[in-house]
Amino acid sequence: MNEALDPQDFDTKVRLQLYNEFVNTGHAPSIARLAAVMQTPLENIRAAMEHLASERAIVLQPESREILMANPLCAVPSPFLVRAGDRSFFASCAWDALGIIAMLHRDATLETSCSCCGEAMSIGVRGGRPAEVSGILHFALPAKRWWENIVFT
Amino acid sequence: MLLFRDEEHIARWCSAWSLPRGATLSIDQGWRLAKAWYQNKMEPDWRRATLPEAEAILGEIGLTGPFWSLR
Repeated sequence: MNEALDPQDFDTKVRLQLYNEFVNTGHAPSIARLAAVMQTPLENIRAAMEHLASERAIVLQPESREILMANPLCAVPSPFLVRAGDRSFFASCAWDALGIIAMLHRDATLETSCSCCGEAMSIGVRGGRPAEVSGILHFALPAKRWWENIVFT
Repeated sequence: MLLFRDEEHIARWCSAWSLPRGATLSIDQGWRLAKAWYQNKMEPDWRRATLPEAEAILGEIGLTGPFWSLR
């Protein structure tokens, strides 16, 4: 893998490898895994991940700097589960969960619960359209503040 | 962004967390926002939307007003 070319090209290659691995396996790849698959030194992957994070393409865990979110995919368990065929993925919020379905370009279902009372709720998307279900989405933070704490948003 | 059964549940959640009520979207609006934001994320030419592009996306979905301002 010739990362001596345009660094932005390498960052893109890392992003695509990361997302493809995540979608194909159902799990976020580690930095070590990406380095092995892309046959490139760990530090090059770490640098690319930091670039991608600084551009808000992904979010890294605060200490390990492994993937926390490859938005809209979430690397850790959450109350928002997307089932797509034989794969399932966590999302950090309802928006990202719907984003996973949009990104996968396939029928899928968001399984979650009312954030107030815990009653089970699901939203199925079939043929590119969400089913008509009752429910309402809520943003607590104004749009200009979303990135103050993207995990809370 | 969270999902609730109805407005009453949003009000109860905001009260429980001592948060002001934010803004709501229908599920259809949420889907349109998610598609605009993420449907190309796995494409090589994906890039983050610029501020004007993001504003246009929100406007097309009907998400206008001070809460949705990105500036």
